[in-house]
Amino acid sequence: MPELGPAAGIIGKWLISGSFLVSIAALVSYFFASRNDDAKKLKIGNWLFVLKGTLLIFASAILVILLFQHQFQYYYVFNYTSLDLAPKYIWSAFYGGQEGSFMLWIFFSWVIGLGLMKWTRAPYKAPVLFFLTLTQAFLLIMIVGWHFGDLSIGASPFRTIAEEMPNAPFLQANPDFVPVDGTGLNDLLKSPWMMIHPPILFLGFAMMTIPYCFAMAALWKRKYNEWIGPALPWTLGSNLSLLTAIFLGAYWAYVTLSFGGFWAWDPVENASLVPWLIGTAGIHTMIIQRKSSVAQKSSLLFAILAYVAIVYETFLTRSGILSDSSVHSFVDLGLYNLLLIFMFVITGVGMGMFFWRYKELPSPDKESRILSREFMTFTGAVMLFVLGLVIILGTSSPILGLLFNENPTPPEISFYNDWSMPLAILMALLTVLGQFLFWKRYSTESLASALIYPLLVTSIATIATIIIGNVRDAYYMLYLFAAYFAIVGNSWVVFRLAVQKPKLIGGSLTHVGFGMLLIGILASSAYNSPLLDANTRNYNAAVERGEVTDEQGFKKTQTVNMLILDLNEPTIINDKYIVTYEGYDISDQNRPGQQTYKIRFQSIDGGKPFYMYPEAYPMLTTSRADNVNWAVDPDVRTGLFSDIYLYVAGSSFIEQRNNQVRKQNLVQPASDTEAISDTTSQNIKFKRGETIEVGGFVFTFSNYIQADTTNLPPRTSIAIRAQLQVRHPASGQEFLIEPLFAVFRDDEQSYVYSPPVNLSGYDISFQFSKVNPGDDSIEITITGLDEVYQDEWILVVAEKKPFISIVWAGTFLLMGGFSISIFRHWGREKAKS
Amino acid sequence: MKPKLVLGIIAIIAFTSLLMMNFSESISTYTDFETASEMKSAHVPGTWDNTQEYGFSKETMEFTFYMKDEAGEVRRVIYPRPKPNNFEEADRLVVIGEMRNNVFYASEMLMKCPSKYNNADPSEYTKASES
Repeated sequence: MPELGPAAGIIGKWLISGSFLVSIAALVSYFFASRNDDAKKLKIGNWLFVLKGTLLIFASAILVILLFQHQFQYYYVFNYTSLDLAPKYIWSAFYGGQEGSFMLWIFFSWVIGLGLMKWTRAPYKAPVLFFLTLTQAFLLIMIVGWHFGDLSIGASPFRTIAEEMPNAPFLQANPDFVPVDGTGLNDLLKSPWMMIHPPILFLGFAMMTIPYCFAMAALWKRKYNEWIGPALPWTLGSNLSLLTAIFLGAYWAYVTLSFGGFWAWDPVENASLVPWLIGTAGIHTMIIQRKSSVAQKSSLLFAILAYVAIVYETFLTRSGILSDSSVHSFVDLGLYNLLLIFMFVITGVGMGMFFWRYKELPSPDKESRILSREFMTFTGAVMLFVLGLVIILGTSSPILGLLFNENPTPPEISFYNDWSMPLAILMALLTVLGQFLFWKRYSTESLASALIYPLLVTSIATIATIIIGNVRDAYYMLYLFAAYFAIVGNSWVVFRLAVQKPKLIGGSLTHVGFGMLLIGILASSAYNSPLLDANTRNYNAAVERGEVTDEQGFKKTQTVNMLILDLNEPTIINDKYIVTYEGYDISDQNRPGQQTYKIRFQSIDGGKPFYMYPEAYPMLTTSRADNVNWAVDPDVRTGLFSDIYLYVAGSSFIEQRNNQVRKQNLVQPASDTEAISDTTSQNIKFKRGETIEVGGFVFTFSNYIQADTTNLPPRTSIAIRAQLQVRHPASGQEFLIEPLFAVFRDDEQSYVYSPPVNLSGYDISFQFSKVNPGDDSIEITITGLDEVYQDEWILVVAEKKPFISIVWAGTFLLMGGFSISIFRHWGREKAKS
Repeated sequence: MKPKLVLGIIAIIAFTSLLMMNFSESISTYTDFETASEMKSAHVPGTWDNTQEYGFSKETMEFTFYMKDEAGEVRRVIYPRPKPNNFEEADRLVVIGEMRNNVFYASEMLMKCPSKYNNADPSEYTKASES
């Protein structure tokens, strides 16, 4: 591959601009094709559609080549990659920025469009492609990068650093300046999970456009029933993608970040959850519409709103609006107005069409009975939608919070939890009623008798959990009951169906997964406990009783949820494990300067010990010569019943490195007093056999020996000598010194006798000052070393998280259920054509 | 009007009011140290004052530093957790907690870093306990 030149960027810009203009032309063709049912116009539109995507693919290819060729004169390449970036992560860098992720999103949308071109039947075909092209045109304009005087439209991935930073002094001096290396991809994103997460997410976003397009086509062509058939599998597919993306993001956050959980109600997480919830609401109403010709209005509404939610959340997370009033750092690329227009057009056209046709939308002849699948499924859909609205409200705090004060903060996490918990309880109960009624008609009595056994099993499981798990909170008990009821009741349906019609179990399976998810969420968050030693736990108990005060005399309210482990000193934790820190390794293999800490866990009841290996590393993209930024990489030990989650938040190594950096920065070259030897004494604790390096020497305490008492006072009770091997690696010298420790009595008093021993040729002396028989260690007072020895320690945050495995298992069941449903509904659609 | 419709409208209004009431209670306003001393839980934005001592103490198991709020007042802040990784890099901090005798006790700390990654990845959030 020849090296691409400066022309490549210009060609790239032209390709994107061309792609945008072609999609406007396609839009016009599709419009007339839809309005006049004109087959010829449709054909022209299709050709333009294909051309549009082809241009975009060429533009993407150029960007990828520029990334691989490390052409740092392009801002995108400079900002997201560096010379040492592994090839697989260069792909991550392609969609690591806003511009590239828009390209990926359009690409997926285009590929799906080709499928729609083939599979969609009249009268929906032209209008569906019209609306799909409309959304793509909006996405394309975000990356055209046009400038008309002061007005700039979109941000091009092909802008050069000179265009990005026109006022940078180095560029004004030399306009052709090309940086030698890029700033590199964020270390946190160098993870296989983060490689596959964005493509799956944008695939989900792209697929969620399809139900919107079908709903709009249905409103345009006044065909309000048939669109459900093709729209349903796409909605299911989008939900599966979004769910997988949410799972990958959550798992990545759990094993990479140090907040110790998988969910934090952050706007970027909510951005994928809300469309999923509304999409799921849509799936529910589409299913009852297909079965019973009810809920046409709500199917249309949810199909529109699911995509509106995607556009709205895209606006929130990409416009920089969240960074104005909160500290969530999103870079504003100047897309605010474009994103705002995109949102208003999608919402306005969607809701406008809906209300325009509202009067003629079909209504069910009579209302559904309460004990009917229609009513239950519809109520479930409404619950999902309401939960979505609550989360949108919370996420919109920078805008909607202005109603209440001028400078609103995001809501407390409890806002989300307080509202989602009762909704989840109701949903869990409804799933069972809905599933039973879905497959069979029941009266109140017959339903009650059919539910006797599931209720019995649920009650037993709930009571057992309350007793074993020591659950005290009545609200949690109700929640547990509802969640178990969802698992048991829906499993009942799954087993019954599996015998008769195994292809139909998708729906029930997702509901079992939902119940498991609820159990897992409660267990892993409410019963999450820190791993601490006895002292810290006593201290925390005292804090909780209000007995601890700080230096100002105030009562302390915060417990300590971390502990310090000294090298090779076993600590008993939670009365369950003997935990020992056994040292660290430094390697440059994955991340330069990465320390891998080795921590041994031994259960108190015996059994095989295991090790955990948390890591810490200097974050190169944000570290400077005078300031090293340390990032942590937790280690998670996954278990069936509970996980142990642990990270090193600080260590003697990191502290020493920081001190070194700080010392280097002191601008005092002439009067450097630091190096002048400090002749103060220091006590160093040695275990038998331990080796310590300090001040250019290596000391090993090999053993004790009985001292010869002939020259000692007559009433000596103890007299031992420590054998201390001293090595000076710089000169190759080796010594053996044997300082004395003796205790003798005189006048009913005990005296310690430990004369200093000098190291020949050095101004250093040793005193054997203490014996600790308890842990087989001694203390030597060393005078004259020019470095103070520091213990090796690590600061550890460790948590036990019960049943996080159930969260993942529930998620997998949901994915499995969705997949089965996709095959079923897709298969039926294929059979039709 | 049908009684069902009336009931439905009442239910929707009741739900919405409850939701908005709870929402307004759960959001707070960004403030400064001066006003924070009168509040139970305050969000104070500001910048790290790097001319003064800071660091994590192994004795008290707390991280302390000085922060200058947007009114220009400098106060000592105590944060009962390890020093966040990218603390020095942050160009804006928000401490959440309460003021006691001119010392701010933070229960949570958010950091805004000069971010270079701007896609929709959770890595952007910079809660101190999460970084």
